[in-house]
Amino acid sequence: MSISRRNFVIAGSVAAAGGSLVLSACSSGGGGGGAQGGSAASATYSKVTVGTAKDSTGPAPQVPGARKGGTIHALGPDDFSHLDPQRIYFAWNSTVANLYVRCLTGYRIAPNGSMKLVGDLATDTGTMTDGGRTWTFTLKDGLKWEDGSELTVEDVRHGIERGFASFTTEGATYVQTWLTGSTDFRSLYKGPYGGKHLDSVVTDTAKKTITFHLKTARPDLDWALAMHSYGAVPVAHDSKEKYDKDPVSCGPYRIKQHSVDKSMTLVRNTHWDPATDPIRTAYPDSVVFEFGPEALQATDRLIADSGTDQYAVMAYSGVPAERIQKVIGTPDLQNRTVNGLLTGLYYYAINCRRIKDVKVRQALNHAWPLEQIRSIYGGPSAGDYATTILSPDIAGRVKFDVYGKLRNPRGDTAKAKSLLKAAGKLGQKIVYTYPQGGNDAYDKTKVVIVNALKEAGFDPVVKPVESTSYYDQVGQIDNTFDVMWYGWSPDWPAAYTLIQPLFDGATIADNAPNVSQLNVGWVNSAIKKDAGVTDTVKQEAAWAALDKEIMAKEAPIIPETYQRRYYLYGTKVGGAQFDPLFSAFLVYKLYAKS
Amino acid sequence: MTSPTPSAATPFEAAPDNGAVPPASTAPPHGGGTSSPGRIAWRRFRRDRAGVVSAYIVLLFFVAGIGAPLIAKVYGKDPYTTYGQNQPGLLNQFGFPIAPNGGISGDFWFGVEPQLGRDVLTLLLYGIRNSLLIATATTLLVTALGITVGITAGYLGGRIDNLVGRIVDILLAFPSTLFFIAMWPVLISILVRPDQNTPTWLTVVSLIAVMTAFGWAPIARLLRGEVLALREREFVEAAKVTGASAARIVFRELLPNLWTPILVQATLALPMYVTTEAALAFLGVGLSDPTPDWGVMIQRGAQVYQNDITYMLFPGLSMVIFVIAFNLLGDSVRDALDPKARR
Repeated sequence: MSISRRNFVIAGSVAAAGGSLVLSACSSGGGGGGAQGGSAASATYSKVTVGTAKDSTGPAPQVPGARKGGTIHALGPDDFSHLDPQRIYFAWNSTVANLYVRCLTGYRIAPNGSMKLVGDLATDTGTMTDGGRTWTFTLKDGLKWEDGSELTVEDVRHGIERGFASFTTEGATYVQTWLTGSTDFRSLYKGPYGGKHLDSVVTDTAKKTITFHLKTARPDLDWALAMHSYGAVPVAHDSKEKYDKDPVSCGPYRIKQHSVDKSMTLVRNTHWDPATDPIRTAYPDSVVFEFGPEALQATDRLIADSGTDQYAVMAYSGVPAERIQKVIGTPDLQNRTVNGLLTGLYYYAINCRRIKDVKVRQALNHAWPLEQIRSIYGGPSAGDYATTILSPDIAGRVKFDVYGKLRNPRGDTAKAKSLLKAAGKLGQKIVYTYPQGGNDAYDKTKVVIVNALKEAGFDPVVKPVESTSYYDQVGQIDNTFDVMWYGWSPDWPAAYTLIQPLFDGATIADNAPNVSQLNVGWVNSAIKKDAGVTDTVKQEAAWAALDKEIMAKEAPIIPETYQRRYYLYGTKVGGAQFDPLFSAFLVYKLYAKS
Repeated sequence: MTSPTPSAATPFEAAPDNGAVPPASTAPPHGGGTSSPGRIAWRRFRRDRAGVVSAYIVLLFFVAGIGAPLIAKVYGKDPYTTYGQNQPGLLNQFGFPIAPNGGISGDFWFGVEPQLGRDVLTLLLYGIRNSLLIATATTLLVTALGITVGITAGYLGGRIDNLVGRIVDILLAFPSTLFFIAMWPVLISILVRPDQNTPTWLTVVSLIAVMTAFGWAPIARLLRGEVLALREREFVEAAKVTGASAARIVFRELLPNLWTPILVQATLALPMYVTTEAALAFLGVGLSDPTPDWGVMIQRGAQVYQNDITYMLFPGLSMVIFVIAFNLLGDSVRDALDPKARR
């Protein structure tokens, strides 16, 4: 299956602009003040549900007090790496893609952060037949490209077929794989430029329908199609590789001017009809991205709040460690922040090929010093303790705490020691590894981890790996590490995207995401069974139960944190909201105050 | 800056200023007429108040470093225990000391380290100990190697000089830090089994070795130039004519005239190696936590100073004091040895 780790790594390394690698908010500063530092972490986790046809009709719910007009500025350290929807995979590119790319489905995000999958170009989230092998979507009326021409089902199909082209390797690969039944799908179909269309995607121009015939049952195709990699592209204006420079908009804004690495100006797309769009509000007349200011610089500008910076937001890099204490500690500034959890989970993978005894893996879970680790990351402002494989914003996730980590986040070394004794593995050697070089927080957490492991009767060995080759080295099947720092971000908020890639024994391969190398019969068959369940509610319940069962019976990972990120915005910006999907601002919901 | 001692230098000023100290044996008698040049220099040095104070300060640092385990024992703390993590009430939820001034208290005289919560005083003492050990060893080795190579090349000249010159050029142009970052993991993976911790002594030895390997070139090049100028001088010619051996010419005629640049270079080098070692540690190839290190402490201080200035103050201030004292000491020693090089 796909390496969505890429999504994860880059989403994080964007934050590296703030000076640290994957964890941005992590080595954050605290103050000399009292023990009650900030009011962070009053989290209401976003809920994810599937919406109806009614939910899919526009216009989007209006933001109370919003004003039309004006310009919103967004400051980011780097230009977007891709604008061609089929080449967009990384979260930060999606921040801007939200404004001009539309897919068959999309997420309508309520003010409280809960998400609803609705039809964006389609009238609803599709009709599934044949047990999940056939999906049909009907297009809305009144969809237009920025030149006024009609957006047709051919354009939607073109967007899917472009995903097979030789120049779109950066994008997601789920749907291509499901349509062809092969991960080597580019050898089976070369994209739409030879004049051939995919047999498995059927369009009906008169009825405005597009039908997908999948090789395997995929009850979650509607989720996958919400990825910008499957956005529509006009057949008439497709300039192939050059489309990356000048994409055509069907969203509320079109790209008017783009100086690479300097700035990008988006202005209103007059042919966009709000009545077709249940997701986007689009109040400002234009959105201007400025590239260059590093996270620290952008934060300081927004703190100063002068000139056009009053209308500015941080595009995708969060408040860095150096300023987090100041921002959270000053009420004036704190009122100008949004924060939320990054999608996905940070955890320590236990190498099940080397640590075969479940008791030892459970002992590691008991001993792990979560509180000490998080205090090094910056305390509650850096994130919430994780106890489950599924992160809180995954549909159907049920919270549990098998190892008592929420009651006792400092770790229970006595319990761990007794488990080790029972297993006859006292003095078990544990080779721990982490990426070294990007972020020195891991050099600190190493100290508390080693202390805890020693106390629990382990013999810890620390083997840091240089951060640029870290993922390649821990990705090797025959690596010599026992416990590996790791993280995973799902591509859509469904349990499958976490549990299948991480724990399906069939996926074990060099550089595959299953770094725990868990290969247990009952887990493998449960994954296969749950993925085929067509009833959403039952499927979600099955995944939640499997989540708990894997943690309790196999303990292949030590969940660490669901990380939190803070963003700052200017005093004249209204409608600021954290995007639970791409972990930045929902730019299409912002408005400029008068 | 120090002021040279005019009275003691008077007899020398009468001598024609030819830029070089005549051979030791011909030095004019001073005072009682029985004083050796060393004694004269010592007497001159003792009159230089700034130099003496600097010497005491430098001595204090070395004593503190060497005596760190003793001091820690009397004080009752060690630099490895994470007090702030173990005892509630020392660090707030952001991982910073709750008490003002970096958590200074009767228990923690210099405060508590942010986040890991170790004791700053013992951390600093052990950090000074480790850093000074590495920097001193490197400086001694670099100076010895630089002197040997520089004088040899300068005195022998010809093809050897050419060869050494090219090696020096390569070394000066070599991106040594990058090289070390690239080679370090390879070296460690060869020397240390994958299921074994990297021993600290190995880190220290390889740090010293690499810094020495890339550090001797500047001093060697400088001395070579000096020797090239000196070897044509009359007193060297005279020694040659009298049949002095090469060793005698190098050690008795040339070397006494080179102590000034050597001392200046060495006193500049020692603080530089403290910072180089810290930079390498930051890049993940030097000493790392939990091994205390002075430079690493300062670096950490620079990251957290907005929230905890105290933590930066102690290692930072002590480093500034140490570097200034060391440089002043170097100046004074130079003045004492060579009163004519006046500023």
